[in-house]
Amino acid sequence: MIPISYNLRSLGVRKLTSTFTILGVALVTLVFAASLMLARGADRAISTNGRDDVVVIVRKGSDAELPSVLGADTVQAALASPGVRRDEAGDPIRAAEVVVVVALPKKGSVGVSNVTIRGVDRGSYALRPSVRVVEGRAPTPGTDEAAIGRRIRGRFQGLDLGGTIELRKNRPLKIVGVLDGAGDSADSELWADRDTLRGAFGREGTVSSVRVALTSEAEFDGLKTALETDKRFMVSVERERAFLERQSEGLGLFLRVMGMVVAVMFSVGAMIGATITMHGAIAHRMREIGTLRALGFSRGAILAGFLIEATLLTFAGGIVGALLSLSLSFVEVSMVNQASWSELVFSFSPTPGIVIAALVFAAGMGLCGGFLPAVRASRISPLAALRS
Amino acid sequence: MTLTRLALRNALRNKARFFMTLAGIAVTIMTFLTLETALGSWDHALKLARRDRLVTRHKVSFILPLPKRYVDEIRAVAGTDGQPMVTHATFASWFGGRVPGREREFFATYAVDAATYADVHDEMAIETDALDAFKADRRAALVDELLAAQFGWKIGDTVTLESTIYPAPDGAPWTFTIAGIYGVKSQGFARQTLLFHWELLNEALPPAEKDKVGWIVSRTNGDKAAEAATALDAFFEDRDSQTLSQDERAWSTGFIGMISAVLDVIGVLAAVILVIMALILANTMGMNVRERTSELATMKAVGFSPRHIAYLVLAEAAALAAVGSALGLVAGLFFIDFGLGGFFERQLSNFFPFFRVELGPALFAFAVSVAAALAAAAIPAISASRLDVTEALRRVA
Repeated sequence: MIPISYNLRSLGVRKLTSTFTILGVALVTLVFAASLMLARGADRAISTNGRDDVVVIVRKGSDAELPSVLGADTVQAALASPGVRRDEAGDPIRAAEVVVVVALPKKGSVGVSNVTIRGVDRGSYALRPSVRVVEGRAPTPGTDEAAIGRRIRGRFQGLDLGGTIELRKNRPLKIVGVLDGAGDSADSELWADRDTLRGAFGREGTVSSVRVALTSEAEFDGLKTALETDKRFMVSVERERAFLERQSEGLGLFLRVMGMVVAVMFSVGAMIGATITMHGAIAHRMREIGTLRALGFSRGAILAGFLIEATLLTFAGGIVGALLSLSLSFVEVSMVNQASWSELVFSFSPTPGIVIAALVFAAGMGLCGGFLPAVRASRISPLAALRS
Repeated sequence: MTLTRLALRNALRNKARFFMTLAGIAVTIMTFLTLETALGSWDHALKLARRDRLVTRHKVSFILPLPKRYVDEIRAVAGTDGQPMVTHATFASWFGGRVPGREREFFATYAVDAATYADVHDEMAIETDALDAFKADRRAALVDELLAAQFGWKIGDTVTLESTIYPAPDGAPWTFTIAGIYGVKSQGFARQTLLFHWELLNEALPPAEKDKVGWIVSRTNGDKAAEAATALDAFFEDRDSQTLSQDERAWSTGFIGMISAVLDVIGVLAAVILVIMALILANTMGMNVRERTSELATMKAVGFSPRHIAYLVLAEAAALAAVGSALGLVAGLFFIDFGLGGFFERQLSNFFPFFRVELGPALFAFAVSVAAALAAAAIPAISASRLDVTEALRRVA
């Protein structure tokens, strides 16, 4: 086998062409890694704090909170169920919320997009310990005050601390606080008072969803069976973690599929670049290769040697691309999530698995792109090469 | 022999490298064209937007319905000439229908006013008999030909749907009879759609939710949609439910807000693929110049100016880019118009009702690729033109 240091030094000799190839592969790797990181970010944007000892109840067939409507009797039955955890005062730990969307002008675009407004009750904050007011103050219950998610603030007209949006004529919602959801959907939502929202959206007496805490995770099956089989209610009961993970499933899948399609299309160009480089490298080293053959290196060793050289070349590009992609982890993207029909803000989330996958992808480009030149190199006749 | 001819001959000297470079440019430009076509399909939808049609919805949110009586009021709103602003008005509500067992296959389901829907949406191509049959039967539905093909529906079939929004009345599922299958006369018209009677939905709702409609679509006599939109919103300004009326162009532009992030990403990707193309070309030109150091030095020695040498390199790069991108555009035309485009129009008709190569993006791709080629060849061209003759000739010897 030819020592790898030989390949490394050869790549170093042809600095300019190696650099061009490395940059090309780096860009493709960047696209590959970035799309996986984005999909991962979408996965984590809502469900980071999803709990198994909290259940979400929505209307059967609704899948999400937005199209769901539950009557007061359903809420009562859910809260009275056995297995629901209660606080010191004996009240169930729960949040019965109204979820709506409003269309608002999106900054940096000509169009409008939808923002989720969650009408919260006094249990909403207690049920989600990860959600905290980090700027301004908490909205006063029963008023027109609201708090904005830290990630969506400033992305829409009026949606910032001190801003207002109008749900009803001359009854503006005043934004008095900023929420940090730490990976809860609150990061991308506006939280307002439930009754204010009910009045503005004609939802008196109903809610979109009920969340209740359980005394233990094991209570889930009993509660689910009791409520789902009761003919009066027509509800679906799910653990919060599973429910939240499903909310961004479609968006994550879309980003992964599009990302892979684009990365594969792009990789063809980068592979051709690698082929041109390796082809040129071999043309310049005819005598060298002939010498190696004359010294006793087999055809297989030459083939392997040049495949390794091509792979090292694109692997270097992969490292550059992966490093570039890591720098994206500070970038946030705002996109419409099909499940909620509203904007979800999320960031590129790198994982070790994604970095490894990106490096393997880059190395694969070298193997494919370097194959034909390597075969050509292995076929060089030592006699002819030395005579030339 | 002119310098240009020499440049062309030079391009062909290393045949393997020449063809690989062409292939690289062709593939990248084809990808670029595909991305530009995706961006352009939205412009195309805007161009097809009708100026005689407008949509009225609730000002605050698309999930809020409008009172049904607004439809009649809109028909009566008079313009400055005392005549009604709109000639036709119809309405629809979003039903959120899904086929049980195939929930992941998204399509649009509208509960519509059967009597007037086709008058306002005259892009629908449908037999008069089928339309009359639809109007006459309260349980009838119309589907467009793409959706019919997707689910294998024929006229007379009974279709069962579930709704994400409206529970089925009395526990019985929502069922409809297919009365007709329609085509479209204009490519901008949304497809993969099922229409059924709004009356049927309305009857099934509890009293508090009755007599409400999702949105109202009206037509004006001549291109007065924008004007009518302003008048309608002013008319409803003091009501409980205020309206947002937009002509079709403004309506479509509004949706760009919802996909702006995707459009931005596509734009970035298009720039990235151009850089990859430029890198391939810069690599090839760098290798060519390096291999020809001695002859370029000789040319300089016999009196060619640095500008001549730079021209020689740039002309070769431009020629490679022109031929490569022409190949890429032809390949892209086949790829998109006879493959991907048809697939998108069938499967993703709500996002890409029209996905075909257009002259604008194609010419843009060609121009941009030649420009990128010249930029890519700039460094090799400059280094070639600055060759120190004695140094270069000595090195080779």
